[in-house]
Amino acid sequence: MSDFQRQHPVAAITRAVDLVRGNFVTIVVLMVVGASGSGGVTFAWWLAGLFLFLLVSGTAGWWRFVYRVEKGELQIRQGIFVRKNLFLTRDRIQVIDVTAGIIQRMFGLVSVEIKTAGSTSREASLSAVSRSEAHRLTDLLRNGELHGEGEEAEAAAVEQTRKTYHLPAKELLIAASTSGSFGIALSIIATIFSQIEPLISETELYEWFLAVIPSEADGTLILSLVAVFVLFAWLMSFFGTLLTYGDFTLTLEEDEMVIRRGIFEKKQITVPFNRIQAVRVVEGMLRQPFGYGTLYVESAGYGDQKGSGSVVIFPLMKSSEIELFLGEVLPGYRGTVKAEKPPLRAVTRYIIRSTLVLALVLAGVWGVLNASAWIWILLIPGIFWGWLRHHDAAVGVDQERIILSSRVLARTTAMVRKERAQDLHVSSSMIQRFRGFADLEVSVASGDQGRSFRIRDLEADTPERLLPWITKEHNVELSPDGAETPAKLVPGWG
Amino acid sequence: MKKDPTRKLTPRAIRAWQWSAAFGNLFYFAIPGAYLAYFGLEDSFHLWIAGIGVVVIFLLWLSGIVFFPYIRWKRWRYSVDQHEIDLKRGILVVQRTLIPLSRVQHVDTRQGPILRWYKLASVTISTAATTHEIPALDEVIADRVRDTISKYARLAEEDV
Repeated sequence: MSDFQRQHPVAAITRAVDLVRGNFVTIVVLMVVGASGSGGVTFAWWLAGLFLFLLVSGTAGWWRFVYRVEKGELQIRQGIFVRKNLFLTRDRIQVIDVTAGIIQRMFGLVSVEIKTAGSTSREASLSAVSRSEAHRLTDLLRNGELHGEGEEAEAAAVEQTRKTYHLPAKELLIAASTSGSFGIALSIIATIFSQIEPLISETELYEWFLAVIPSEADGTLILSLVAVFVLFAWLMSFFGTLLTYGDFTLTLEEDEMVIRRGIFEKKQITVPFNRIQAVRVVEGMLRQPFGYGTLYVESAGYGDQKGSGSVVIFPLMKSSEIELFLGEVLPGYRGTVKAEKPPLRAVTRYIIRSTLVLALVLAGVWGVLNASAWIWILLIPGIFWGWLRHHDAAVGVDQERIILSSRVLARTTAMVRKERAQDLHVSSSMIQRFRGFADLEVSVASGDQGRSFRIRDLEADTPERLLPWITKEHNVELSPDGAETPAKLVPGWG
Repeated sequence: MKKDPTRKLTPRAIRAWQWSAAFGNLFYFAIPGAYLAYFGLEDSFHLWIAGIGVVVIFLLWLSGIVFFPYIRWKRWRYSVDQHEIDLKRGILVVQRTLIPLSRVQHVDTRQGPILRWYKLASVTISTAATTHEIPALDEVIADRVRDTISKYARLAEEDV
């Protein structure tokens, strides 16, 4: 039928850019090493060589990448030296995402990612095709036939009536300023520093520091350095979030939801309803006090670069509105259930877990470095954190769902429908058995690996009583009336 | 409260585990070796430390052969019926896992050299999220368990 064809030549550029992006640190290091050896002329040669290499490998990659759709099967042949053939049948294709990155948008092109339930999905992507070609592919792979123009217009008309949710500007700003990627930004800066560090000899750095920092250990200078560092990280995460979630819309289609987001890089994510494995609400440390949370779904079909199946379906929402939103978008996940908390006597275990590492570090600093005993005051936030983790831990079930609420830093409430729970797992260590505790863990499919949610130190017989819940035949009554274990309703927002 | 699973592993599992512990844990004797290699043999203090290390590791190694395989076997229980696979095991940390048959994606039997020598095999059960193992069953039983699980799983088939 159709012959193998190539992508738009711009694919060569995007490929080259991907190469640079993937090996950025290596390239920088090579450049610096190459440049430091001799004069500026060699540096230019290095640059030219790199450019030539990218040009050749990008073009060769584009030339050797061909694809076609044959009998409802997407066939891709790629690889410069090692030829890879990737054949995807239509039935196995779960999601087709059409995204426009910066380079693609300059040429009016899009990239098409075809996702299946395996890890091979990341290889099946066309990095530069025209919009009409993307439409043709989507039609061929979705429906097995080409749609006429009229039908498309009709489909567009139907789309008009479908419900779309936007992220208001105010919410976007709040999301950006309270972004959890703050920590990530910090670690990125730290990574950059650690990459730069080997380039400068350590003694030089040390001397520089000694020169900069006055000998009388000026506390304010160090503090202001830290403040600048933190501010820089915050700005990075602020604009990062703004660019990622700007222009966010969630559209409900008949059997899937489509998420469009991004300011420069437009990203489109399609999540079929029947691939959703769990819903997760994360209320970050900075967001919970203001009554905001982020909504995620765990999806079996979708996998990002890291193989995780988590998709943000709404970046920021008032906790009190989540119930209503779920009712409209994912009705199977709304409503509260009666839940059981870890007993009060477990609070010591939560506190010990939260403070153990800190206490060891403090003991080291106190004992070895002869620091003032006042540093033990740092334990108080640790104790509070442990108490908070105990306070927020709960598990509840009804006929169809299990809801687990727990906290690391952010409070996470995971909602899993019975038919999506892959297994239930109960474990208890020797100390836990002695004190009458047990942990409960639920696994769901998500991306390549799967994901599990755990509640620690429940009353020992609670998980055991919960076990039969997972098979259809049973209906479990959690925390029978009159039980002395504390009960509450989860999710507890609104 | 759910009743404990009923079936036990084949007793030959103890022998197989003893051998694999005997070989596998030899590696730990490298620790005092590395310690001495680093600090040298001259100082008697380091010799003492390494000596104590060797004795402790030897005792652990011995109990890894004499006690643990037996307790592990004693604690291991499993059962398979039409609705669920129930696994219970663990010496220090007791673990119990319930896998509904409808979530089983595939099941296979595996056999390393030691297991083969004792005519044992392990059964591996994979769901969309997790993988579980029944470690040492008689070959014939392992095949039967595998086929049973596969049959029930097909009956309980549901899309992920």
